[in-house]
Amino acid sequence: MIEMVHVNKAYDASPQALSDITLEVEKGKFVYLIGPSGAGKTTLLKLLYAADRPTKGEIRVNGFDVVRLKSREIPYLRRSLGVVFQGYKLLSHRTAFENVAFALEVLGGRRREVLKKTTQALHLVGLERKGNCLPSQLSAGEQQRVAIARAIVNEPLLILADEPTGNIDLGATEEIMRLFDEINFRGATVVLATHNDRLPLMLPKERIVLERGRMVENTMFKPPVFG
Amino acid sequence: MGGYFFRQARQNLNQNPWMNAITLGTITLSFLILGVFLVIFLNAKGLMEEWGSRIRVTAYLTDSVSNEGINRLQEKIRDFREVREVRYRSKDEALKALEERLKGRQGLLKGLPRNPLPGSLEIQLKPEYQNSLGVQRLVEKLRGAPEVEDLQFGAEWVERFSAFMELLEVLGLGLGGLFFLATIFVISSTIRLNIFARREEIEIMRFVGATGLFIRAPFYIEGILQGFMGACLALAMLFAFFQLFSTKVYDPLKDLLGNFPVHFLTMEQMAAMALGGLALGLLGTQVSVGRYLRV
Repeated sequence: MIEMVHVNKAYDASPQALSDITLEVEKGKFVYLIGPSGAGKTTLLKLLYAADRPTKGEIRVNGFDVVRLKSREIPYLRRSLGVVFQGYKLLSHRTAFENVAFALEVLGGRRREVLKKTTQALHLVGLERKGNCLPSQLSAGEQQRVAIARAIVNEPLLILADEPTGNIDLGATEEIMRLFDEINFRGATVVLATHNDRLPLMLPKERIVLERGRMVENTMFKPPVFG
Repeated sequence: MGGYFFRQARQNLNQNPWMNAITLGTITLSFLILGVFLVIFLNAKGLMEEWGSRIRVTAYLTDSVSNEGINRLQEKIRDFREVREVRYRSKDEALKALEERLKGRQGLLKGLPRNPLPGSLEIQLKPEYQNSLGVQRLVEKLRGAPEVEDLQFGAEWVERFSAFMELLEVLGLGLGGLFFLATIFVISSTIRLNIFARREEIEIMRFVGATGLFIRAPFYIEGILQGFMGACLALAMLFAFFQLFSTKVYDPLKDLLGNFPVHFLTMEQMAAMALGGLALGLLGTQVSVGRYLRV
């Protein structure tokens, strides 16, 4: 599902954003990417959905050779995965339903199918009754659930979540975590980046710990095999 | 899917109605000014061609020349390569024509002891020589002939008129170029603003895997629509102005102005203008999309 071999990423401002990361995440796993802010979690996720390119190393995601992916092929990688952000990234002038449907519409989905899948995704996140609400009319937890519905509406194999509970209170956090567990249970691989060490206590799963761009712990560790 | 693109384009247009109205207005104005220019230019050109075909050289003959002499001269002139046709007009014909013109006052001519009017050869030029140079060359050839007493030709106004046409052409091209650039600039600015207004949406589209074409298409549709609509609106207004001018200004003064025909643009010219609007829309969009919407 995900393979990274000796991956390095250097920015001008931070020459060792990631150094020598080698890891493998198998299909169906739920993995926490843990570390304080600035440890390289977001950078690592960005490399996985090709928002950025590594300085060195090999990356394979859902069968895509991400390092050699041409710009025009990136959309197809992204269709095979769903991304959830700390800041939700919802369109403020569109309803919850429209926000979720948007992800299907821009892939050229048929109206009927868009309607059906959007309804299902909103049902899964428990917001079928709030489809007509604008994001501003929803709580933070609800907004994040809309964002999760949007990430899963296309039934991706892999969900990447970057601090999805960062802006959310404890009660709503538990709900969000149950949701990720449910999505994982239905077959999607989940990689969830967080600086909050309490999440793994709430829902124990595999862990990769990053510190200053280096991997210091990996509960799934085994010798890497690439290609 | 096409429906989605048009919905998006419409949404873009609605998102900032004033901005888009100003853009459309500017494009329309540009095309309108160009259109007015084009109509004037094409009509002037038509008029020029019409007048050009009336260019002729008249050679007045000496009274002493014999009929054979006239025939010989006529043959000789007919062989000049500038010449399309030569017609002889005898002294009697000339007098008769004058009498026609003086209808009701023929008495004026009664007391003449003899016909004072000369015979003449009216020489028409081939179309390619219907300009001042052609006229001059023909006149040079005729000047030496002993049978010819005097020559009459009106080349000077032709010269001035073609200079005026050239000026009009240069002016038109210059203006056209400026409006061309201005229109591209205006369209690209609007598209740029729309790209900025929708940057959140565009970012999310990228995250969920929309292709570059899919993201760009609505902007192209918007730009093309604006260019096309601007050109069509300009054509409609131009037509209205033309009608107004024809009925209120031209028709009452028709006889005074020499009764020349005025034409509106042909179907092909109108189609070219509408397509021009479309092309400018495409170009304007390309400028902004290429710069601000790299996917």
